[in-house]
Amino acid sequence: MHIEPIDAFRHRIPRDESRGMRTDVIVYASHRLIEQIRKDLSLEQAVNVATLPGIAGPSLAMPDIHQGYGFPIGGVAAMDAEHGVVSPGGVGFDINCGVRLVRTTLTAADVRPHLQPLIHQIFRDVPCGTGGSGNVKIGPRDLDRVLSEGARWMVHNGYGEERDAEFAEAGGALEGADPSAVSEHARERGLPQLGTLGSGNHFLEVQYVDAVHDEKIAQTFGIAKDQVVVLIHSGSRGLGHQVCTDYVSLMNKVMARYGITLPDRQLACGPIESEEGRRYLGAMCAAANFAWANRQGIMHFLRGAFRRIFGDDVRLALIYDVCHNIAKRERYEVEGRKRDVLVHRKGATRAFPPGHREIPADYRTVGQPVFVPGSMGTASWVLAGADGAMRESFGSVCHGAGRLLSRTAVRKGKDARQEQRKLEEQGILVRSETRDGILEELPEAYKDVDEVIEVVHGAGLARKVARLKPLGVIKG
Amino acid sequence: MNTLVYDEGMGIRPFDVLEHPADIGFRAFGNDLPQLFANAAMAMLSIAGDPEAAEPRSEYSIAVQSGDRASLMVDWLSEVLYWFDGKRIAFREFAITGLTDCAIQATGRGEPREPERHQAHLIVKAVTYHQLKIEQRDGRWVAEVYLDI
Repeated sequence: MHIEPIDAFRHRIPRDESRGMRTDVIVYASHRLIEQIRKDLSLEQAVNVATLPGIAGPSLAMPDIHQGYGFPIGGVAAMDAEHGVVSPGGVGFDINCGVRLVRTTLTAADVRPHLQPLIHQIFRDVPCGTGGSGNVKIGPRDLDRVLSEGARWMVHNGYGEERDAEFAEAGGALEGADPSAVSEHARERGLPQLGTLGSGNHFLEVQYVDAVHDEKIAQTFGIAKDQVVVLIHSGSRGLGHQVCTDYVSLMNKVMARYGITLPDRQLACGPIESEEGRRYLGAMCAAANFAWANRQGIMHFLRGAFRRIFGDDVRLALIYDVCHNIAKRERYEVEGRKRDVLVHRKGATRAFPPGHREIPADYRTVGQPVFVPGSMGTASWVLAGADGAMRESFGSVCHGAGRLLSRTAVRKGKDARQEQRKLEEQGILVRSETRDGILEELPEAYKDVDEVIEVVHGAGLARKVARLKPLGVIKG
Repeated sequence: MNTLVYDEGMGIRPFDVLEHPADIGFRAFGNDLPQLFANAAMAMLSIAGDPEAAEPRSEYSIAVQSGDRASLMVDWLSEVLYWFDGKRIAFREFAITGLTDCAIQATGRGEPREPERHQAHLIVKAVTYHQLKIEQRDGRWVAEVYLDI
């Protein structure tokens, strides 16, 4: 594959018509990262995305890109809203997998002496879900409301504070949700799982602010050095997984009718304006709302856990909540003209710059908060969206560090208890419902998150605000 | 070699685990296609949990229709996953009672999942088409399937 460097932070795979590419691939990566990225199939997958009908502008790869299914993880693709396609696989199985960051009124010095009981309490109150159900008990009728109203339903039913929903992307609920497009299978999988973390790379991390890189923006987001924050990484659980499964299957059945042929069946798609495309988008919005409700439920039980350990005076407030698996209708200038597009972000985070009307008024002057979780034992980042993202990446940046090693490779020859002890020696307490949870998410499985952040900062897509370090981790 | 010690604690399994940077796959085997479909389901459930802990107390009928053999495999495994994750059934085994390229009927034997007795290894989110293979090798049927976890 021919990859040419553009500058220190960008590479290009030029359009190759013999491969059916309709556009270039732009990879945001340093020289060192591109060498790591080339080792798996992620760039092949970004090339396949460039073949999709109606793609507007280039197929984009963020510096945390790694091999996924169909689309790469860390990929962004904008489809012309009128003539383009929507691909359920381009959003992913975990619809609205995302991150919320919660600030507390405590410092690292306040929390350290009570870290063990705190982590045990959170572990009890926020289940990962392998046991079957969470602590949010709702009936089938309530589920319809959750699918339409997202985090707002949770807040209005006692699972949060009024301000929480306001500080989530899209106010914690996308318009256009169509609960009738969500199958009974999906409802059955999702109903008992509201308020659960999930497994895989999902986690809840108690962190402290290790370094502030931009005082003004940090102050606007309400964070300062040594302050304790909590990062929640979860999604739409079985409900979203089933919605994607249902619509990948449906798109595979109807693609031929629309004359679509693809290099990979996992890319299965249909015209945005087709009956199937519209129903998928209605179901996707409903699943996204379920995910916001889920993270809201987790935050509610997190608040309870903190109060049990630190008393009623401790305050937890939502800084922001961003999704990184989603398709959204937005408007951008593409090749010199304004176009309405459906932006597929698969393992990519929206990063709107200062002044954008979709940013809560409190943050509008500094840009949208973006959270980039690293691996257990390393660091996570708070960024703010910048103008470059609007100019060239459809308002998007990276979503994590990006995996380097497979799950089987990272666990080879390792013992979960020993690894847990090693992290404890660094002052990081880890609890997991599954043994595999710890081993498969060890720091060495991931790229260097700081290097990923240097690329998005250097390319002008987002600004560095603060670096966070873990104190305690709850793993699925 | 069609067995692989995945982890000392998890025992020996009649399938291979396939590597993927973020997720996991398996290679299952069968002397014929019905056995291949049954073994593929057991491979997926062994990655998610421990089928040997399930007692075959009840029977559950599962039927799936699809467009071709490859999509039938994905849709069949997706349906089994729904029974495991949505209906919360721990399966011990499957008997395939009817199979064409576009339809499968099966009876699963197992019992409702209990967290204490049926430990989960991983939450499997979904079954993918990624590098999906169903083919004959040396007179045996082989399926390679990747799961999103």
